[in-house]
Amino acid sequence: MATESIGETPTLFLRKATGLVRGWSVRDSMIYAALSTNIVTLGIYEFSFQSFIPKGQLLTSVLISAVWVSFLVVAYAGLIVTIPRAGGDYVWQTRILGSGLGFVMAATGWWFILWLWAPIYGNVLSVELFQPLWATLGDPGGAAFFGTHNGIFVVCLITIAVAGILVSLGMAGYARIQKWCFLAGLVGFAVVVVLLLFSSKSNFISSFNLEAHKIFGVNNAYAATQAGAAKTGYVSPVFGFGPLGASMLLVPMMMFYLLWPNWGSTLYGEIRGASDFKRVFTGMFSGLWITVLLSVVFLLVVAKTFGTDFYNNSNALYWSAYYGGKVPAAIPIWPYPVMFAGWLIHNTAFQVALILVMSLWFFGWVGTLFLSSTRVIFAAAFDRVLPDRAAEVSEKRKVPFYSLILMLLPAVGLSAIYAYSLKFETYTLDATLVIAVTYLFSAIAVVILPFRKKELWAASPASRFKIAGVPIVPVAGLVTIGLLGYNLYEWLSNAAYGVNNNDSLIFMGVLYVLAIAVYVVARLVRRRQGIDLGLINKEIPVE
Amino acid sequence: MKIFFATDIHGSEICWRKFLNSAAFYKADLVVLGGDVTGKAMVPITAYNGYWQVTLRGETQRLDSKAELDEVMNRIRNSGFYPAIVSQDELAHLGENEGAVDQRFSEEMISSLDRWLDMADGKLRGGDIPCILNGGNDDIFEIDNIIESSPCVSFGEGKLLDLDGFSLVSMGWTNPTPWDTYREAPEEELAAKIEAVAGLVPDMGRAIFNFHAPPYGTGLDEAPALDENLRPMHGGAVMKPVGSTAVRDAILRHQPLLSVHGHIHESRGIKKMKRTLAINPGSVYGDGVLQGAVIDLDVKKAKVSRYLLVNG
Repeated sequence: MATESIGETPTLFLRKATGLVRGWSVRDSMIYAALSTNIVTLGIYEFSFQSFIPKGQLLTSVLISAVWVSFLVVAYAGLIVTIPRAGGDYVWQTRILGSGLGFVMAATGWWFILWLWAPIYGNVLSVELFQPLWATLGDPGGAAFFGTHNGIFVVCLITIAVAGILVSLGMAGYARIQKWCFLAGLVGFAVVVVLLLFSSKSNFISSFNLEAHKIFGVNNAYAATQAGAAKTGYVSPVFGFGPLGASMLLVPMMMFYLLWPNWGSTLYGEIRGASDFKRVFTGMFSGLWITVLLSVVFLLVVAKTFGTDFYNNSNALYWSAYYGGKVPAAIPIWPYPVMFAGWLIHNTAFQVALILVMSLWFFGWVGTLFLSSTRVIFAAAFDRVLPDRAAEVSEKRKVPFYSLILMLLPAVGLSAIYAYSLKFETYTLDATLVIAVTYLFSAIAVVILPFRKKELWAASPASRFKIAGVPIVPVAGLVTIGLLGYNLYEWLSNAAYGVNNNDSLIFMGVLYVLAIAVYVVARLVRRRQGIDLGLINKEIPVE
Repeated sequence: MKIFFATDIHGSEICWRKFLNSAAFYKADLVVLGGDVTGKAMVPITAYNGYWQVTLRGETQRLDSKAELDEVMNRIRNSGFYPAIVSQDELAHLGENEGAVDQRFSEEMISSLDRWLDMADGKLRGGDIPCILNGGNDDIFEIDNIIESSPCVSFGEGKLLDLDGFSLVSMGWTNPTPWDTYREAPEEELAAKIEAVAGLVPDMGRAIFNFHAPPYGTGLDEAPALDENLRPMHGGAVMKPVGSTAVRDAILRHQPLLSVHGHIHESRGIKKMKRTLAINPGSVYGDGVLQGAVIDLDVKKAKVSRYLLVNG
């Protein structure tokens, strides 16, 4: 027996009954949100593309993006506490917007597009672990291999294998190591910050030149980088906040890492109280802003010790050379700032340890990323949209073989295309765009929720949060629609993002056509079997 | 023969109303509610001179008219809670006396169930549409006699009910939970209870097990792993099987045609266990959505010809 009270007055009596669990802790939620908006695996990687919007300021775009994404956090917190324990976008959209649309959005955003995230993660693993590790261990040839077509494909296969193993093992063991990965990753990050904070720029330049010569045989690498970037015609912006317009154009790039604070969010409290909305919001919001704080700190210490111009120049020169520019990069592998920070200590063991510790940001999240696919596949199989077999789990080892095949086999194919076609690799932001479309429909769902599901909304703790009598959750939904709409417009109209070319559009179109085809075929096949899939979410009349 | 099976509505009046309409909506010949009928929480509404006061989800409201009171009481009932109108003195007494809360809970559960069964009489055409109800581990034992005495609803616990040649046996008990609820028993005891009802079945090829606890380790029994404070561990991402091994062993041993379960709300799913189709439609009663399973049985061939999990 339990009692909830305001002051001394009881307001709710609970009797002993199954499932009366408390919501998950804010700390857990915060860790998940910080890992999903991953500063190292996704953030630093995406920062390296600044030169595609040459006048854009990273710091400004990070802050604008974070403020805007905070509204998405409010909107999702509203959905989570209104329809909790349910499984996210798939359930919200099928219930509020309809079965077909819900399936298409969930299948594309949480399943098919993960086939592309596999090689993207593979590439990140290559540039943030394998390449710097081999280079640091004194094998620049080996490091270079991981940047070749074959090398990238091998690392993609490793990533897919790691994801498959982690999904097969289940979350029980993995969740335990996730927290440790996060904490150790934070320690590694702190080491990088301390190194940069307490080293002077001149110290960095001499260390950089020394280690670059030792590892790659490059003379005067710092100056060579600056000169090389200048030859490509790139001019780095001076560290600061302006100009706003160009920085706004970086926002669609920042979505690659900041759009995911809601990734792992569910709520398990069955008796939903007023505090639940605050708790869910606080967890995701804190996680997002931890990432933002780390981003700001990173950019500040980089500006202080590397020099913003050098940091941007090294990235600009690398990508220019990578995509066939005539000026070679001074450092022949991706300019990983962690590796550069490690070079401040002239000790190979330390440098290797730092790279390994920072790779925990990758390993702490990669399993959860791909787990979402298996969940959508299971839900679709239980809804009879996919064959029952898709949700089968092996008796002995509890491995979801068929869903793993549906998730990983196409990922292998796409990894091959990604690795061997330089053109396809530029479609990286397709992976963000497709999920943004799925989010867009959830944002629409949150806006129409108070009108479409009045009772549900009235009973939701989210409905009582108002400003000047206006409920904040649907308004946050509208702002989120603005955020996603702006990004979609930019992605689809501006060539700088590598998204709006024919092949990219065809690729994404195929995903949507495939999802629609699966749903239509399922409806036809099931109808022939006497099963009406239209019944799944049809509401029984109350009166 | 078409069956609609739902479970774990936990006092949600909107779900009960939907359940009563489900036969007509899904064109079912028979409706079964698998247990955990009663609610988990009670909301006190304090009566003052000329108005009432209630706190819902942290927001205190003053209700000045009977219409407002009725509207709030309906909202509370639809969430699966019991509205309890109390005086200031009664509220203070309830706040200090656990026994008094238990007593009031029982009264509210029983009067609510009485009202629900009255509604059923009209909706189920006085018993023309067979309707089977069962207790679950969260249900107090006092509800058994009330359901038993209803003219239009059959109480399933421990009985064999013949349904057009199919045999349905029911058992609302579960293996132990962290909440120490009413109908819990150790696995050995559960196995004995199962054998007692399974022994009544003449032909397992035409048997339907309606056991509240899902079979262990089948994916129909996955609940969030909890810490000692009953808080989900690792952000709720880690699930663990919490079903009954006795139920699992009984299904594998007897191989009934169909086995329907509840208890673990978040574990909506289907599992083929050799010849048996095992289903847990799950529950989201708090959202006012009645999750269920529509199951077509082929009377001649004694097989499950179709099934669909629905969110009605």
